[in-house]
Amino acid sequence: MGEMQFLTWVRGTGLNLAISIFLLGVLVRLLEIYSLGRKKDLAEPRSVAGASGMNTVFRRSIPADGMLKNSPITYIGGYVFHIGLAIIVFLFAPHIKFFQDLLGFSWPGLPSQAVDFAAVLTIVAMLLILFDRISKPVKRYLSTFQDWFTWALTFLPVLTGWMAVQHLLLPYTTMLALHILTVELLLVFLPFTKLFHAFTVFGSRWYNGTVNGHKGVAV
Amino acid sequence: MGLENFAEATDTTRDGLTGNATAVLHEVAELLVALAERGETGVIDLGGMPLSSADKAWLAERLGQGEVEMTLNLDGASEVRETAFHGVWWLVHHNEKGVLTGEFIETGTVPALVSAHPDDIRQAADKLGFLIDEL
Amino acid sequence: MAGLAQHGVSRRSFLKFCTTLASAMALPPAAGLAMAEAMAAARRPSVIWLPFQECTGCTESITRSHSPTIESLIFNVISLDYQETLMAAAGHQAEEALHQAIKDNFGKYLLIVDGSVPLGMDGAYSTIGGKSNLETLKEVAKGAAAIVAMGSCAAFGGIPKANPNPTGAVSVSDIIKDKPIVNIPGCPPIPVVMTGVLAHYLTFGSLPELDKLGRPKAFYGETIHDRCYRRAFYDQGKFAKTFDDEGARNGWCLFELGCKGPVTYNACATTKWNGGTSWPVESGHGCLGCSEPDFWDAGSFYKALSMPANPLKTVAGAAVAGAAIGVAVSFVNRAKKSAAKAAHETTTLPDLEK
Repeated sequence: MGEMQFLTWVRGTGLNLAISIFLLGVLVRLLEIYSLGRKKDLAEPRSVAGASGMNTVFRRSIPADGMLKNSPITYIGGYVFHIGLAIIVFLFAPHIKFFQDLLGFSWPGLPSQAVDFAAVLTIVAMLLILFDRISKPVKRYLSTFQDWFTWALTFLPVLTGWMAVQHLLLPYTTMLALHILTVELLLVFLPFTKLFHAFTVFGSRWYNGTVNGHKGVAV
Repeated sequence: MGLENFAEATDTTRDGLTGNATAVLHEVAELLVALAERGETGVIDLGGMPLSSADKAWLAERLGQGEVEMTLNLDGASEVRETAFHGVWWLVHHNEKGVLTGEFIETGTVPALVSAHPDDIRQAADKLGFLIDEL
Repeated sequence: MAGLAQHGVSRRSFLKFCTTLASAMALPPAAGLAMAEAMAAARRPSVIWLPFQECTGCTESITRSHSPTIESLIFNVISLDYQETLMAAAGHQAEEALHQAIKDNFGKYLLIVDGSVPLGMDGAYSTIGGKSNLETLKEVAKGAAAIVAMGSCAAFGGIPKANPNPTGAVSVSDIIKDKPIVNIPGCPPIPVVMTGVLAHYLTFGSLPELDKLGRPKAFYGETIHDRCYRRAFYDQGKFAKTFDDEGARNGWCLFELGCKGPVTYNACATTKWNGGTSWPVESGHGCLGCSEPDFWDAGSFYKALSMPANPLKTVAGAAVAGAAIGVAVSFVNRAKKSAAKAAHETTTLPDLEK
């Protein structure tokens, strides 16, 4: 298969398959998790300032006392790459075109050099986080195959996308096709791995906050 | 520096010069020496290398203007200019629509295109002979 | 070069043509002179042009090569023994000319093909004088020194091959495997690219350096994107959103309007069209990617490379299926939960780790 035909496949059939599996997976898992509901807590609810679902959602966005000093790369690197990913995915003009095709509406983007800058920061942050996971004995001990796998699934689209725009290593056609392919892999595995936190993180925090808030504890 | 100025602020060329014009000037010098010492002619294709318009202007300024300017009418005008350095000629070719099709620097007594070819001269001599016969 | 003078082409004009052509092919200046001498002295090699399942656009294009006197020069410097659109003969006389040319020059003639070769219905979709193109190609290719597949149809199958390919169209290189073939794709190819490759063959007696799709690297070595004069706008993210909007009028990048420049190898951005007048992007329209294989099936010409090439057919169905499965699973889970509660089961560590 020539490079052009490979690109056409990933832009056509591949994309269709990946988005289908993604949507199917997300809906199955969302319904599966949230349909379980909560066990009714028959105790008298206590109201303590700062102990509620909403409070927990925001409180957990900040590292707990002493944690930032303990593990700066985890928190700083984590924030940098999450924000970087958001900028790249949602504010880069070619990506906005993609969403426009899917959703029917679009929004203004950033100049391409700003996104390029964000991409470089994201790549560096992710490499630092990987290095940290390898070099810190406790982190390494706790890491399973899924941790390394999901890191690669998230890293490769950013790397290949950046390399395509910079015209590095492989001819553009192939680099672009690889980028789209790695995005498709990310989409396919997202609902079935810890990456699903994209959809459940705030729900989880709110749940923990509410349940414990009922008992009068701010978590 | 706001995001709007990002592009201009990151432009790194100075006055549009790429540095390649200096290399071309060196090549012209070498070819001119070869012409002077051994009578060898030479050609440099300016279209064949990455020269910005600032580079070409820089080169034209350094080589300067000589005493000879010629226009050749060959399916579109071709301009031949002697530079301030004897033996160094600057040629600009256009097609019938006036679009630039080629630009060269030649070293030689005259550019190859300008000299009349011996075969053409032979033919012309015959032709002129016939013309006079018919007078 | 007496013959040239008879056709109103002066020695100087011819030399000028050859030097500018050599420059366009990124050959050293001396090659221009070599080309001129070879072309003028050449023993008029025989060239046979076979038109198959084509639109004649490639023939039309090659006749626009630079100025009229020049391509009539080429067709006199070579012996164009068979070309249906341009030759005067027709019917049996034309067939005779073809067979004579093949016989007299067996093993030495240059075969030019434009149009794809249909395989469907035993090749009956396209015939000349009652013979299928497939049969004709195989027969004439036997005595060819080299084959030039002119245009995207001959090179890659082109528009006849586009989905669903009703005639079973294939390219020349799908049929002929034992002769040197050069592909000159484009729909149509740029005029001077066609004559340039022919001139190269006539001068050096061999085909120019080819890429892995058989295209001459001199003209197809770089993408449109890499030579595009609007590249700075791409790099800055300044894109035209619709045709003739503010950005478009300022000459901004046409990526969002579907330009396939980044994935297309051709010389349009440097050599341009109509004798160097302009080219699609300069005229405000994105590149179609016409020199790439299967470009007709690569999604809409007006959808950016970052957009899906085809409508996403199964996505809506997958969403419905996902919801249905989710609901079904939730019933099963709730049933399990009730059963566990009724049986007073306790939560264990393995349960939490699931």
